[in-house]
Amino acid sequence: MQPFALDYARPAGETEIAAPYVYDAGLQLNVLLDGRVAARDHALLRELGTTTSTAGSKTHFDD
Amino acid sequence: MTVLILTCAEDVTADMVVVRLHESGVPVVRLDPADLTDSVALSGEFGHSSFHGRLWAGGRLVSLGGLRSVWVRRPGVPAARAAQPSAWLTEESGQALYGMLRGSPARWMNHPDAARRARYKPWQLRLAQDCGLPVPATLITTVPGAAREFARRHPDLVVKPVSGTHPQDPPRAVPTSRVPPEADFSAVAYGPTLLQRRVAKRADIRLTAVGGRLLAARKATPAGADPDQVDVRFAESPEPWRPAGVPARAAAGVRAYLRGAGLAYGAFDFAEDGDGTWWFLECNQSGQFGFVEVDTGLPIARTIAEWLARPGPERAERPDGTGAAVP
Repeated sequence: MQPFALDYARPAGETEIAAPYVYDAGLQLNVLLDGRVAARDHALLRELGTTTSTAGSKTHFDD
Repeated sequence: MTVLILTCAEDVTADMVVVRLHESGVPVVRLDPADLTDSVALSGEFGHSSFHGRLWAGGRLVSLGGLRSVWVRRPGVPAARAAQPSAWLTEESGQALYGMLRGSPARWMNHPDAARRARYKPWQLRLAQDCGLPVPATLITTVPGAAREFARRHPDLVVKPVSGTHPQDPPRAVPTSRVPPEADFSAVAYGPTLLQRRVAKRADIRLTAVGGRLLAARKATPAGADPDQVDVRFAESPEPWRPAGVPARAAAGVRAYLRGAGLAYGAFDFAEDGDGTWWFLECNQSGQFGFVEVDTGLPIARTIAEWLARPGPERAERPDGTGAAVP
């Protein structure tokens, strides 16, 4: 009784990785432990995949 | 005037835009509706033909009349983190917040009404057709016989979710997947199924539209790539995203789509075939853009920031000192 499309489903993959940054309400930005703004570290963003087209799919369906 | 950003704290993609707004000295208030009644507060008073609304978040206060734009990025469910959350409180909070914001003269990226409609994939396909964008043959059906007949006419098919959502119980991903020739379509009867002719693509295109500006990126399909790996989001590829020009026909179609949908922002996915034709797959009205900017250097965050920072609507002063939007 499973819908056809779900025959092609796969496990959601790895569990969410704890991001190495925290939100700073004063700056309104996420900052790294050394105080740098996370969004300026593109190498880190690429590594974490937090800006990719599957990020947030669990809670939002706009990839 | 202030830019209001509705998103969750961990939205580092939104940070890329906030950084640009800070650099240009534009006031920003960022809040997550999930924090309503906790660290976010609102108040609005309707007086004699006037309205004064205010929001508080993170120690900041903003008047709704002082908003130049509202960016709806990744907002949480209203009041989800309240001390005693409930479906009723969420409804009350959502009505209060979004209802008051709708009375603001601010420009929206994107307006909630336009955003809600734009999420319907069948509607997207129809609008794309109307705008002259090529759409692969597509069938959405709960009738197994219709699926078999469609497969007879289009032997090479993919299947994808109609809604774009992924099941959560248990958590699973449903990538766009190639349907084998021997597929049994009986299970089509158990849920609406979207079948689409597979485009033999030589590249994926992600076009990010911000206002009238189109920023396109292209990821080439590697030589010898497995044709069963259809969904670029889930396929390993050595090819990076690279900046791409936009063919005139696609540009005209995308601009018409944005006008028809009433969207200020849209992330369009196309499949480029061997002839160079861009086939419309979908438009996510709040699609991610950070990964494109990181790979290509395309100034998407800066372009969004510039759109949000544009002056708000002209306002005429009323005798009571309150502002009224000038049409």
